[in-house]
This record gives sequence, C-alpha cells and structure tokens, in this order.
Amino acid sequence: MSEFESRGRGGRDRDKDKDKDDKKGKRTFFRRRRLCKFCVEKIDYIGYRDVKLLAPFIPERGKIQPRRISGVCATHQRALQVAIKRARQIAIVPYVTD
Amino acid sequence: MSTVRQYELVYIVPPETTEEAIAELHTQIAAVVERFGGTFEKTENWGRRKLAYEIAGHREGVYVLEVINGPGALTAELDRRLRVFDLVIRHMVVRVDEELAVAERARTRRKASMASRRIRRGLPPEPTEQERNRRLEDSDDLDGPEMGFRGGDR
Repeated sequence: MSEFESRGRGGRDRDKDKDKDDKKGKRTFFRRRRLCKFCVEKIDYIGYRDVKLLAPFIPERGKIQPRRISGVCATHQRALQVAIKRARQIAIVPYVTD
Repeated sequence: MSTVRQYELVYIVPPETTEEAIAELHTQIAAVVERFGGTFEKTENWGRRKLAYEIAGHREGVYVLEVINGPGALTAELDRRLRVFDLVIRHMVVRVDEELAVAERARTRRKASMASRRIRRGLPPEPTEQERNRRLEDSDDLDGPEMGFRGGDR
C-alpha cells in the first residue's frame, strides 16, 4: 500500500534519491510529502469562524504556519491566511502568545 | 442601482451585558439595515466566549453574528455606527457572497468531474454506501502529532 502511494507522488525524486543511496551508501530519510489538508478533505470554504479548522495552522507562538511545513497548497494557504487574519480581528485566534 | 451583496457582521459586547441591551443593540442595527433597504439572513448569538487576547480590559465577550444582505453603503454606515457604540468592544464586517460562490463553484465542479470519471469507469455517478465506508477506513494517517491545538481555548 505504502509502496504504491510513494510511487504515485513525486516518483521521480524518489528514484533519484535511491540512486544516490546506492552510490554513496548514505542514509537518507524519506518523509512523505504532507498533502494539503483542504484538498484531501475537500474543504472548499475556509471560514474565519471555525476555530477547529484554523487551529492546526497556528503554532504556539500564534504565527501562521508556513506552507512548507504544513504542506498546504498555495490556493488554500492564501484562503487560510485571510481566514486567520479575520479571526484575529475578532479575537477568535491570538495575534501573539508568549 | 446598488447591487445587493451578502455581508457578515460580527460584534463583541462585554460578558456582563444583559439580554435586553443586546436586543436593543440589535434593533438599532436593524434600523440602519432597514434604512438602506437591507435584509437579515440570520442572527446568531454565540454566547460567552473567551477572547484570544484582552480587549478593553475584557477577557471574555458575548459574540453576535448577523448575516446581512444589502448594498455596500450599508456596511460603511454600520461600521461608523458600531464604532460609536460604547457597548460594542469589537466589530467586523466582511463580505462573504463572493467567497461562498467560489466555494460553491468548486464543489459543483468537483462533483461533476467525479461523476464523469466514474461513468468512464462504468460505475454509477454517485459513490455507493460501501465505497464511502471503505474510504473512511483508509484515511487513518491524516492527522499527525502537530494537529493538536494549543493556541487558544478548547
């Protein structure tokens, strides 16, 4: 199952890394690219009122999580960013926490 | 002349505000909405909620949401009025009709493409109950440890 999946996504990169492995014998870690939560779960509208939806993208400090970490696609990150900024205005989500 | 759009108005009043005062505030808002020929789609009182940060010395507040259909001039007036009310410690007006339309379009487009794909494979256009259940079992690795919430209430 997992074999099939990892081949499906970015299969080319995987082969390249494998070649490198064979040559140098270096250990490389494979972290499966996180998929965009909103694409996977087919969430079309990212509303600013839904704390449960926004919370996973607001780390401890209160900043908006960059998409290189969360894996959110560009389209949804843009919508998410707007939603979080609105939620901050009405004190649903903090600007900063320390 | 002016197009009718949908707006969401959220405002926060102090937690010790009485029901009557909130109702009074609502009638004042309703008067403004009426004057501009707008209509209320719905009114929702979320009740007491913890604020994510302190506003005017309050740590909690009563949230009220109003979904209003009306022209753009209405929101400008509402905004001006709400800024004057001492009772309202925070308010926000957001236009939502466009975003909801975009979401709706995305939903219908996805549905249509799914149906066409399924028909090409010789399946019925809608997934059956059995398939839906199987999909739920597969999606066990969606949330990692970072999915927990730390930044607020709950």
